[in-house]
Amino acid sequence: MTVQTKAKGKIIVVDGNEAAAKGVALARPDVVAVYPITPQSSLVEALSAMIATGELDAELMNVEGEHSVLSALQGAALAGARTYTATSGPGLAFMFEPYIRQPGLRLPMVASLVTRDTLTPQCVWGGHQDAMLVRECGWIHMYCETVQEILDTVIMGYKVAEHPEIMLPVNVNHDGNYLSFGVTSCELPDQAMVDDFLGPKSINWHAALDPERPMSVDPLTGNAGGAGPSMFVRYRKGQTDAMARSLQVICDVHADWAKRTGRAHAPLVEEYRLDDAEIALVTLGSMTGAAKDCCDALRDAGKRVGIIKVKTYRPFPVQAMARALSKVKAVGVVDRSVSYGWNSGPMHHDVLAAMAKSGFVKPCVSFIGGLAGADMTQSHFERAFDIVAKGDVPPGPIWMNEKD
Amino acid sequence: MSAYNSLTYNASLCIGCGECMMACAKAKTGSADDLSQSRIKIVVAEEGKYEAALCRQCGDAKCVMNCPSGALTKNQANGLIDWNADTCVNCLLCTVGCVYGGITFEASVGHVAKCDTCGGDPACVKVCKSGALGYVTTAAIYNDYGKEEDLFAPGLAACQGCNSELMIRHVLRKVGKNVVVAAPPGCIPGMGTVGYNGKAGAKVPIFHPLLTNTASMLAGLKRTYERQGREVTALALAGDGGASDVGFQSLSGAAERGERILFICFDNEGYMNTGMQASSATSFGSWTSTTPVGDKLQGKRTDAKNMPMVMMMHNAAYVATASSVYMEDFYEKLDKALEASKKGFAYLHLYAPCPSGWRFPAGLTIDICRLMVESNFVTLWDYEPDRGLVFTHPTDKPKPLESYLKAIGKYRHLAQEQVDRIKKLLEDRLAMLKRFAR
Amino acid sequence: MQDCTYLIVGSSHAGLTALDAIRMIDPEAPLIMATREDHLPYSPTVLPYVVSGRSIPKKVALRDEDYFKRQNVAFLRNAELKSLDVAASTARFEGGANVRYEKLLLATGAQPSIPPIPGLKDAFFHVLRTMDDALNLKSAMGSAKSALVLGAGLIGTHAAENMAEAGVKVTIVEAKGQVLPGYFDKDASALIETAFRKHGIALEFGRSVKEIKQGRAVLEDGAELPFDLLLIATGVRPQLSFLDGTGVKTANGIMVDEMQRTSAANVWAAGDCAEARMFQAQGTGVAGILPIAVEQGRIAGQAMVGDHGVKAFPGSVLLNTYSFFGQQAISVGIGEVADGETCLRIDEAAGTYLKIVLKDGKLMGVASVNNPIDPGILWQLILRRTDLSEVKDRFLADPKAVGRMLMSRLWR
Repeated sequence: MTVQTKAKGKIIVVDGNEAAAKGVALARPDVVAVYPITPQSSLVEALSAMIATGELDAELMNVEGEHSVLSALQGAALAGARTYTATSGPGLAFMFEPYIRQPGLRLPMVASLVTRDTLTPQCVWGGHQDAMLVRECGWIHMYCETVQEILDTVIMGYKVAEHPEIMLPVNVNHDGNYLSFGVTSCELPDQAMVDDFLGPKSINWHAALDPERPMSVDPLTGNAGGAGPSMFVRYRKGQTDAMARSLQVICDVHADWAKRTGRAHAPLVEEYRLDDAEIALVTLGSMTGAAKDCCDALRDAGKRVGIIKVKTYRPFPVQAMARALSKVKAVGVVDRSVSYGWNSGPMHHDVLAAMAKSGFVKPCVSFIGGLAGADMTQSHFERAFDIVAKGDVPPGPIWMNEKD
Repeated sequence: MSAYNSLTYNASLCIGCGECMMACAKAKTGSADDLSQSRIKIVVAEEGKYEAALCRQCGDAKCVMNCPSGALTKNQANGLIDWNADTCVNCLLCTVGCVYGGITFEASVGHVAKCDTCGGDPACVKVCKSGALGYVTTAAIYNDYGKEEDLFAPGLAACQGCNSELMIRHVLRKVGKNVVVAAPPGCIPGMGTVGYNGKAGAKVPIFHPLLTNTASMLAGLKRTYERQGREVTALALAGDGGASDVGFQSLSGAAERGERILFICFDNEGYMNTGMQASSATSFGSWTSTTPVGDKLQGKRTDAKNMPMVMMMHNAAYVATASSVYMEDFYEKLDKALEASKKGFAYLHLYAPCPSGWRFPAGLTIDICRLMVESNFVTLWDYEPDRGLVFTHPTDKPKPLESYLKAIGKYRHLAQEQVDRIKKLLEDRLAMLKRFAR
Repeated sequence: MQDCTYLIVGSSHAGLTALDAIRMIDPEAPLIMATREDHLPYSPTVLPYVVSGRSIPKKVALRDEDYFKRQNVAFLRNAELKSLDVAASTARFEGGANVRYEKLLLATGAQPSIPPIPGLKDAFFHVLRTMDDALNLKSAMGSAKSALVLGAGLIGTHAAENMAEAGVKVTIVEAKGQVLPGYFDKDASALIETAFRKHGIALEFGRSVKEIKQGRAVLEDGAELPFDLLLIATGVRPQLSFLDGTGVKTANGIMVDEMQRTSAANVWAAGDCAEARMFQAQGTGVAGILPIAVEQGRIAGQAMVGDHGVKAFPGSVLLNTYSFFGQQAISVGIGEVADGETCLRIDEAAGTYLKIVLKDGKLMGVASVNNPIDPGILWQLILRRTDLSEVKDRFLADPKAVGRMLMSRLWR
């Protein structure tokens, strides 16, 4: 929920991609590497334009593909640069090799995933499948609901990523089409405030490629015996511990942001009209808007329904999710992607696991909707609430746009 | 210790005038009358052709080992084999050890005699009109760079006879400490340069990039230092796989953008670190573990991608090929490449024969390097956009290609038509390069 | 018990060359060099010159203390090898010191071979193999008026020359009919003998000593030769009692293969104690000459340290150089060969001699007196079996120039 108490910045009218670009510029990155891809292109165009006019003082690298985009940024970060890029769908797939390496190097950065469904069938429209495919790579994933939240979260992302206890890359995800091209007004924070909020850059104090601090970065580590395997375990454990720690840092950073801007985005999980709800839907990203409208309409009709919106998807906020789930009798989980291995949406089994880990089990229905840019309307959510309210849990997912 | 000066003799220039022997006899005895007093002996080989016998001042001199009285010693300061009249007992066992006729008994003086280079100013060279005799520091490079710190750790685990290990040490000696090195997966990090289980392999910042992203990763790093106003050399020490196969896209992109990087490709024609699999740089007909030899297949079926030529087409600031057998040439090109990498993309392609993967004795690496160039299997040249291509080693009188192919096990199975195809390819390639030559 | 990676027993040419070959590759592994001597390393070959005064002991050391320090070598003096346990890789030295090795080189050389002549063991006599022998002989020679030398090999003739030059009346008794049998033929020997006789040295060839009595030797024919000083120079042989019970194969010396390996694991042998293949003859033999000791020591060292550059020992080629009364004799290879072709040039007046033996266009041997040749080059021509057919006439006319030409081409 966005509560505007004090408006400090100026109001601008932008789409989600432009909002991300504005947020990036306020975070003052040193190096931005770009390669265009639908539906991300207007974002990097906006950034390039800002660098061209001098509005953003950053090194612009127009490289020959997403693989080199992230590779160049890793080199830059190892020299101390704050970095940014954005990608989508096949671009993310092509970036995969350096992508899976970034968290292990503990190099902080923010990268936007302008989410898109994946091939095949050939498809350039929205869906979360691309981001879901990289959910176990060690990046922090935060999903935005609104254009304002995109702008704010890009900035907050740097604060989380560069926190000395975290030192991990952050994906700030916004839905292709609905958010990337959806135009709305939002507030542009004040640069001085953002500078103060982010503080000094803190990128490569731990691992640097710098003749003034010579070190070997990422030597071979492992093998069947000797010091290697236990050393490797310590690296891995350090990484997963940092992921776990990041939940608290994300909360703290959101609280700080709210204090400075008056905009209190829920950091992990947002509970919408949940306190006396009997059933709820778990949502992710821009679909939440329509889901909340549906919820309001059903409430007006006297139904005790609520929404649980996931903002931070990786690491998965088990406790926050369990606390929300504890308030209702049954839930439906609406995914914009599929889990081929579970015949459900991926977030559906995250929710099931969160319940199991918290010691309770409640009816939990998997809904899959919004694939390939399909619209998710109030009526889709109304139908979902109906199904959850009946208390039956079908063996497979409910495909919401199958008969649209 | 330093490199030593040496007397050199070029038989093809010698006209047999005997001036050198007269000068030597005069320098040693005060008279040019008795040529048997000369410590350099020019002998007739055949009509109009001559050879020379003189002390080669050997590194592991048998005359010294054979001396029972300690009269002969290798002088570590100037490299000469010193003879001590005071301790010599005239036993002549030194003459048994010498296969050059470089130390011989001189009846007129009653003891053995040998060349002492006249204390560094040899009389024979001064009088040689034909240019057959020279007095050179054959390893001047060593004097220039030998004192520079070897910035790789000792005891890297490269195979015996590894050309790449030799050359990376030379490279860093020259480049110095103000550098960031990227060594993508392959022999170079495989031998431990980036380190192993927490132990470092180099005294400079060094990184293990992906096989695919060396050039782009260095580009981001370099741009950051430029933005910070710092001049740091961004250096890639890559293999041919990391340059011409999966690493090619990022390499091409960085070259196109003119990133200020020095990219050195150590071309050992394949993935030698992982068991000798073929790469796009593997030469036609080569046996590798993925282009095996049998009834159906006889080695690699396609020609090697010519990376230096491809990089030249990128209009890079500097492109050169080099071989460790011509070190002066290599250092000259390294200098130019370093300078060019301050303004644009510099690419150095180093031919790096691999004893383990190519199947030749480890002691022959440098000989193979030499044959490779002398047979025109590879050509040495460099290129600058505003100057064009210049050959740095003559290509007009190549040794027979067979002398190169026969020296290497991976070509042992070649049929005549395969050899013919290689010959044709080399001729075509040379003709094409010549069209770019100044 | 001391432990080491490399143990080298013996500190003359074979041992020292092996040490250098090992340290070239492995500068650090613990290495012990043991010698029965109290001296720094020296060459037995130099001893006649110590006797003559041309050399003095402190000038003939082949290595100094600092060398061992630099090479990180423990140099044990007065350590005579007494026994070996090859199963336990342990060597026991005089005085009870034990060393456990990973790799052992036996470079123990040879000792004078004393003929079983009645009365000899009760008589006082000299030999010449160690520095102490040389110093004893040198001092005895000062007060002796007459000397009897048994054996006209290199040691006997060298010592005889030294003593004659010091004013001693010298007689050499040699069972064979010439000096330096085995290296030079009768014609060449005759030139050498002339020089000896000219310097007042009596040469008794084809005779042998039946008995040694107080101050005199009784020959087979009953003749008696009086002496103040008796030098036994009837040859040397390896002293190998330390191998008793080890099962290590021996004949005249320790049997070795082409990498100088003995029949025992991790044990090598080189130099005058080793019996290796011959290059120009069937079978094996103890070469007993310095340049071969150097070759073998180098191969053994390289083999021990695992140097991939090691090349197999091609076999011993007999060769020697000999200086006498300011003259020089050199022999390389063999002097006679069936179906061979011999070119002989003797100038008795000038005292020069040159014999070249070829077979099938290949060099078999060269011997020369006062006719300078390059023995190192000729040795190579034999080892490489270089075909000289095309340059034969020139070679026979001027072996030095043609040999140098061939080598200059070969090593360009």
